[in-house]
Amino acid sequence: MTLDKRLALVNFAKDPEPFIVVDTQKCEHCLRKPCLYICPAEVYSWQDKLNYNTEGCMETGACLVVCHKLGAGAIAWKYPSGGKGVTFKSG
Amino acid sequence: MSLEGFEVAVVGAGPAGSAAALTLAREGVQVLLVERGTFPGAKNVFGGRIYSYAIKKLLGDSWKEAPIERFVRKEGLTFMTDDSAFTIEYESKDPEGSFTAKRARFDKWLADQAEKAGASLITEARVDDLMIENGRVKGIVAGQDKIPANAVIACDGTTTGLARKAGLVKMLEPYQISMGTKDVVELPVETIEERLGLDPGEGAAHVFVGSCSNGTRGGGFMYTNKDSVALGMVVGGEDTSSKEIQSSTFMDRLRKHPKIRRLIKGGKTVEYDAHMIPEAGPKMLTRPYTDGMLVAGDAAGHLLNNGYTFRGVDIAIQAGVAAAQTLLEARKKQDYSAGTLQAFERKLRADPPLKDMYTFNRVPAYLRKSRLYNVYPELVCAAAEAVYRVDGNGKRKIFKELRSQAKGRVSLFSLVRDMISGSRTF
Repeated sequence: MTLDKRLALVNFAKDPEPFIVVDTQKCEHCLRKPCLYICPAEVYSWQDKLNYNTEGCMETGACLVVCHKLGAGAIAWKYPSGGKGVTFKSG
Repeated sequence: MSLEGFEVAVVGAGPAGSAAALTLAREGVQVLLVERGTFPGAKNVFGGRIYSYAIKKLLGDSWKEAPIERFVRKEGLTFMTDDSAFTIEYESKDPEGSFTAKRARFDKWLADQAEKAGASLITEARVDDLMIENGRVKGIVAGQDKIPANAVIACDGTTTGLARKAGLVKMLEPYQISMGTKDVVELPVETIEERLGLDPGEGAAHVFVGSCSNGTRGGGFMYTNKDSVALGMVVGGEDTSSKEIQSSTFMDRLRKHPKIRRLIKGGKTVEYDAHMIPEAGPKMLTRPYTDGMLVAGDAAGHLLNNGYTFRGVDIAIQAGVAAAQTLLEARKKQDYSAGTLQAFERKLRADPPLKDMYTFNRVPAYLRKSRLYNVYPELVCAAAEAVYRVDGNGKRKIFKELRSQAKGRVSLFSLVRDMISGSRTF
């Protein structure tokens, strides 16, 4: 089952205010790019530069940990605004 | 609702927050419970099982009104390679000791109990900051609203936002976190019971170690709900990076195994969940209290993976209650300083179920041994294959067979060392 199909099963309410902001300049010099692997929703991808799409973010916060400890310290992260972001039916 | 006049603000309506709010409200404390999701539980993910004792203690006989999926009768452990599996199963005589649940329902129900006791719940409110005056926490900031309170209990989950703002935690290390992913697969009630050999209404919990994690620290799990199974993987935060494996791909490795394929055949995947697990335990905070604030639940590492039981909700509830009791004592003295609130730490260490976190504090380091995830599961399966296979080529006695299977996989020295340190750890 592809990740896209999995993510289609989850409800997301888009937050107009950006809750993840990446200083992608810093990522140019990032050797390990740990965000690409830890994120269960693959919010981060690499194509010539770091791209990120917060729609689909499951709000685990793990990207922040690995970015600051193994990566370039480029990710600024907070939860989406109240009522926005992911909602699980089961969890 | 006016946001003035609350004595205590509890941030996060998960198990820790709701248990704390309920305990305080019962004693007549004006308590505000703040949740960022559209309802309590909307953001919360776990494996699938809750140990009953904590809600029994908190709610008495009415604990059985909880949205219980199935009481867990069967405990299973499987060592697996890509094409074999060695399973141990235990049938408990008392299935009511734990039950499976869905957090979207359970957490909502627990928050309802807090509201019934008199707590005020607001949802869709993200707490952005603490009000801090002269180093003392004086309330919370949610968007435009400043909400003053005598004390704050931060139960804001694994990213520890408020504890970090209060200077109680540095950034976690990648080896201190795990990533959990989970598929919920719907199956007819009878199919679940037939495939797992369960009586109506009873359930199973199962852990998988070996090929599913591809040598990565971690493993798989399965919990039976009423009409679905929760199937998941937990993998080490450091390993996904160093091995460059995407955390979402482990689920497919697990689902590909013949044992799992048979289990979920014909099932419909209805949800995908993910959650970061702070494996470091309570030592992830320098201390779970400061002037005017306590930290409980995931935010304070109040959970326990001791290698064979995986506990979060029960420990969070106990810690939430302990935090509330600490504040009740502080309220009598009208003193919410760190000096008074440090009683929380003593309560955590004295409470029998919470003490387990400290008893098993060497487990995380032990579980970072990579042999546990490749060498030993392969050895167990290879040995079982050799022991059970009769192919006419003659059989060796079991001990000799084990020795020969271990050869080349692990040195006798490592094996003995792992066994001795294991006996001291678990």
